[in-house]
Amino acid sequence: MSATRISATLAVNEDRAIACLACGHALGPAGAPWKEHARLDEQPMQGAGGAPYSNAERVLLRRFYCPGCSALLDTESALAGDPFLTDIVRV
Amino acid sequence: MSERNGARYVVATDVGGTCTDAVLFAAGEPVRLGKALSTPPDFADGVLAAVAAAAEGMGIATDALLAETGLFVHGSTVVDNTLLTRTGASTGLITTEGFEDTLTITRGAYGRWAGLTEDGIKHPVATDRAPALVPGTRTRGVPERVDYKGAVLRPLDEDAVRAAICALVEDAGVDALAVSFLWSFYNDAHERRVGDLIREIAPSVYVTLSSEIAPVPGEYERASTTVINAYAGRIARDYVTTLQGLLKARGYDGPLLVMQGYGGLLPAEEAAGRAVGMLECGPAAGVIGSRHLGQLMEDDDIIACDMGGTTFKVGVIQGGAIEYAREPMVDRYHYVAPKIEVVSIGAGGGSIVALDPVTGVPGVGPASAGARPGPVCYGLGGTEPTLTDVMLLVGYMDPGTFLGGTITLDAQAARHAFEEKVARPLAMSVEEAAIGIYRIAAAQITDLIHEITVERGLDPRDFVLHAFGGSCGLLCGVFGAELGVKRIVVPHTAAVNAAFGLLAADIVHEYSVTRTLPADSPAEEINAIYAPMVERARAQLAAEGFTGDAIALDWSVDLRYGRQVHEVTTPVADGGPMDDAAVAWLAADFEALYERKFGKGSAYRAAGMEMTMFRLSARGLVERPPIERSPPGDGDPAPALIGRRDIFVEAAGALAPADIYDFERLAPGNVVTGPAVIHTPITTIVLQAGQAGRMDAYRNIVIELG
Amino acid sequence: MDPITFSIIRHRLFRVIDEAVITLKHVSGSAITNEGHDLMVSLYRADGSLLMGGVGFLHHLTSAAEACKAVIRRFEGDIGEGDVFLTNCPYTAALHTSDIYLVAPIHHDGRLVAWSACFVHVYDIGAMVPGGFSPDSRDIFTEGFSSPGIKLVEGDTMRRDVMDTLLNMVRAPEMVALDLSSMIAANNVARERMVALIEKYGAEPVDEACAALVDQSETLFRKRLQELPDGRWEARQYFDIEGETCRVLLAMTKEGDELTFDFTGSSPQSHYGINCTYWASWGGFFAPLFPLLCYDITWNDGVLRPISMIAPEGSVVNCTRPAPVSLATVGAIQSVNNAACTCIAKMLSASEAYAKEATAVWHGSHFAIFMFGLNQRRQEAIGILTETFGGAGGARTWADGIDVGGEIPNPIGRMANVETTEATFPVRYLFRRARPDTGGPGRWRGGNGIEFALVQHDSPEGGINYVVSGKGTEFSMSEGLGGGYAGAPCAYRWVHNNRAREDGRNVNPFPTSLDEMTGEAETISWGVFPLKGDDALYVRSDGGGGFGDPLEREPARVQADVQAGAVSAEVAARVYGVVTTAGGVDEDATRARREALRQARLATPVAAE
Repeated sequence: MSATRISATLAVNEDRAIACLACGHALGPAGAPWKEHARLDEQPMQGAGGAPYSNAERVLLRRFYCPGCSALLDTESALAGDPFLTDIVRV
Repeated sequence: MSERNGARYVVATDVGGTCTDAVLFAAGEPVRLGKALSTPPDFADGVLAAVAAAAEGMGIATDALLAETGLFVHGSTVVDNTLLTRTGASTGLITTEGFEDTLTITRGAYGRWAGLTEDGIKHPVATDRAPALVPGTRTRGVPERVDYKGAVLRPLDEDAVRAAICALVEDAGVDALAVSFLWSFYNDAHERRVGDLIREIAPSVYVTLSSEIAPVPGEYERASTTVINAYAGRIARDYVTTLQGLLKARGYDGPLLVMQGYGGLLPAEEAAGRAVGMLECGPAAGVIGSRHLGQLMEDDDIIACDMGGTTFKVGVIQGGAIEYAREPMVDRYHYVAPKIEVVSIGAGGGSIVALDPVTGVPGVGPASAGARPGPVCYGLGGTEPTLTDVMLLVGYMDPGTFLGGTITLDAQAARHAFEEKVARPLAMSVEEAAIGIYRIAAAQITDLIHEITVERGLDPRDFVLHAFGGSCGLLCGVFGAELGVKRIVVPHTAAVNAAFGLLAADIVHEYSVTRTLPADSPAEEINAIYAPMVERARAQLAAEGFTGDAIALDWSVDLRYGRQVHEVTTPVADGGPMDDAAVAWLAADFEALYERKFGKGSAYRAAGMEMTMFRLSARGLVERPPIERSPPGDGDPAPALIGRRDIFVEAAGALAPADIYDFERLAPGNVVTGPAVIHTPITTIVLQAGQAGRMDAYRNIVIELG
Repeated sequence: MDPITFSIIRHRLFRVIDEAVITLKHVSGSAITNEGHDLMVSLYRADGSLLMGGVGFLHHLTSAAEACKAVIRRFEGDIGEGDVFLTNCPYTAALHTSDIYLVAPIHHDGRLVAWSACFVHVYDIGAMVPGGFSPDSRDIFTEGFSSPGIKLVEGDTMRRDVMDTLLNMVRAPEMVALDLSSMIAANNVARERMVALIEKYGAEPVDEACAALVDQSETLFRKRLQELPDGRWEARQYFDIEGETCRVLLAMTKEGDELTFDFTGSSPQSHYGINCTYWASWGGFFAPLFPLLCYDITWNDGVLRPISMIAPEGSVVNCTRPAPVSLATVGAIQSVNNAACTCIAKMLSASEAYAKEATAVWHGSHFAIFMFGLNQRRQEAIGILTETFGGAGGARTWADGIDVGGEIPNPIGRMANVETTEATFPVRYLFRRARPDTGGPGRWRGGNGIEFALVQHDSPEGGINYVVSGKGTEFSMSEGLGGGYAGAPCAYRWVHNNRAREDGRNVNPFPTSLDEMTGEAETISWGVFPLKGDDALYVRSDGGGGFGDPLEREPARVQADVQAGAVSAEVAARVYGVVTTAGGVDEDATRARREALRQARLATPVAAE
């Protein structure tokens, strides 16, 4: 088995690194937070969709992209300054 | 209406999903039964084949028989089939602007979970709605608005209607249109005008108006009904017209009457315009047949069971009255039309017996091996053990005499499959495990019947159980005893239940008006609501040839307590017109019915009582010759005894020796004592220890329990 | 235990609950019970542990177990045959005071063998605001009567003094009496059927089957947990009440065959009644857990055994008496539901085998509008607008969320027809539809929520009042999954004087969208408001969360959404990168657009910077 899935978009590869399921780009060691290694676009949630989002001025939509292939790896809604949500899957 | 002079026969045919059944009889002649495979999409071929099968041995050709037939009654699954196979018209919907999504959002989750089993409901992530018959892209809202009193708040914008019709017909290519506006059952002017405009602009398009097909409150269910009718309307109309033409060409020139889901017949011309009326008419006919049999036998509290290859169905008749379904569905679509309540579970002869892959707990159905490949013992390629295989293993079926000996059952194969897939994993002997499965099936059926009797305040001990269908006779001795019914009747016509019911049905036109009135309203106000309905009903029945005593008008009113949601259809005891005393009686009857149905202490009187719907059921009584009775002979069944073998005897908890009888050789008056098995050409009847089955004058087997 | 008898007894236990539910609905003829299925009936073992949970509002399955246990502790030595106990104290077991539990012992041969318990949301509870949702309350004392346990029926005889006292504290006492009667009837039916079951199969075999059923659930659930990866997943929910921002933080840890739900870091309790108590949080995560992880396992105490919870005292998810909680069911409990759904879904999507069971959050805000006043027949009318049960499905990993498709914690809710509501309340709907662009974008789109607007119609008092308990107006509470976006927030607008009567111009009594309304639209979210004159109330519910990258969504699906009016062309182009035309997808423009969006992504900074 070459890679073990840890989320809908990520796997742990044979080098025990977290890797993008789409392109294999590595995002740090298995068992550690990976989001710091991703590209982050942090914008008010109101830009996430159409008119019904217009009230969501204060809350931010965080989009974490794979630096390798630009795939969207995860999202969060967060107030500015709140830490990233950390998901750790043991493989 | 009566049969034509010199035309002796009455013919009933019922087209089911798998088989088409026929029953024919004439005064002084025995009832004849016939079966043939259904032949979709040209169902008429199967109809004629079933008639020919019934006439076999009479020495008369089908054409000659039809020429001597005075009445042809018919039920068909054609509309159900159109829905199940999604083969209806490309349909559009015109509705009130602002409410275009009513159909597609199905009152929220309702359309997502309705029609699912408990297991399905508990797994919401795996659920979805059935795709709407009319997608949003073929729905157009038009400006108009009527309020809860029927007052027009916003006039119909006819230009917008014309534009909507053109867009749907020309751009979206629909060839059927449903029209359903808010509150149209109080004021149908806007819908009628849209109907006129459609006929003017696009005369070839099939139109259904909600105020005509379902003039009742609740815009989602009303729109859904209207759409179903429009979707299947042309197919239903063509079907009826084709059958009518074919029968005429084969020599029949009497009326064709078509069964409706509420258990009444409509003349072909009228039925052709009401596709939804034909939904579920087979099971409805079964209940009507049961009621008729009950009348012959002087029973009016009946639990009518029908167990075929894939399902076990049950309906309840109480005091001669039939229960109607509150929230009927076809496939997973809601509709509102009067429909006899028939509840079912996926337990039939073909139901697969399996162990839960996770828990290892054994269960029966709902998966079915159907007719093909069918049970393992049929030798048609089935590999999964079914309930029929279990019946063979517990000794109830005779490998040599099944279906009159036309199929030899492979007991060895059944045993092998059952042992491998059920008995061995359970660490039980084949017999032990088979007995266990048999008990599970009987318990599931008991629970279902419990649900539709005890849960509605009915005590099964007051009821007679009718066991119809190919498999019911195998189990009824056990679940009937557990329920404690008074007696069990396995009818002579058990295998052609629905067709037999057609013979017993009358022409019934259902009318209704929705109005909310206090329950103590003056009688003249109520009579004024009924007057136009009564006039219309009389004119209609007169046009169909009914006069005088051949017409019966039944009034009934839906009532509820103020601020409560449960409505109870309450018959007007002495019919109409009513006086103020009758109105008071009606309210009292409602209260009694309510308590019986919903339980003691459920009545909520503080906010008064309201009448919400006024119903008229107009019946044209169809004359028929009486069914032939045979004079009962003595009680000794010895001439019919054909053998002895081991069968499962519930009281013994094991296989034990039992007598085996041939139904065909039994005579009225014979009494068979259990444990015993009676084989008919199509079904098998098992009598448990201590049960005695007597053949009555109609060749029914009657088992007294009470 | 012999598998045949076990199979039969298990099936009978299902039927016992089903029968009791039908009885409850029959006797209580109310809309919230019958339309919304806002009810629950379940069976409990002699020690009060859950034996078999019915399909109802699932938060209650475990809370009613606590109600049974509280009664066992409180009334030890005084629990007789034919007794029925009432408790609705949120600090004992209940979710809020309006949700009354009636729990009843089941005896056989003089021995207590089981309990049945049920709840309904009663018509009124005597809180400050009719109907029980009481936004003005600042403590439990103004949220209506609250009992930690009282004997309502003794030996099959109603305790008149108790009943009269309860009814003396509520509005519309006849309606509350009917609610209580319905629960007594349901418990009676459960008891009768349970006793019949014991009489047929014997006390010992039934007890053995019940124990086996609980053990079986535990075994199966632990096996399932073993099959899922170990790890720790986090979720965060925000909600906004009158300028207060609350957080519910959840870290769910799975190790081997055990799960821990840890709410450490959640906000201190609020001044407003959106808090919830300890057992409400406990029930709050079980509500999604049962259908998401135990869809094929009997819902009982066996499922509870591998689970533990940490909820800090004095927080919004474990408030300290006398903090108010009347809006807990649409407040903190809802956030617990949502956070648990997210964590469970993340765990499921980390497994190849179980990814198909994962879902983004459904119906995150659970907006609720309560109405009270005189109806067009001059009767007192109190009730919830059942659109609250309309919901919106979260996207699955293999399918879109279902538009107006309900919710997970109440699997069989439904909303009333417009015609039903217009006949019950003095209101007229201007429109009601699925709202485009509310579902969270994603490879699989979140289900759209609902929007509707009401004006008063034929009101004898010129109007009616409504309670708004908004949260999720500023925050998207239906989180996305695996890159899917959260669904849009909900919105409430008080549209003043919709019909500009002064000069007869701009008059539009029949607007079919918020944009067409001529009056000034004031954003509201909390409190009691009038719906009077020509004013209108506009409500938009939130959409379900999306799943996966919107740029991965098949262009044909986006096109179909645009044609069906579920997604606007603008969102299709900007968010999905799909350029739609009347004739279909513009393939070249779409390719270019998506490429540009991907390049823009790569221009964003790395998060650590």
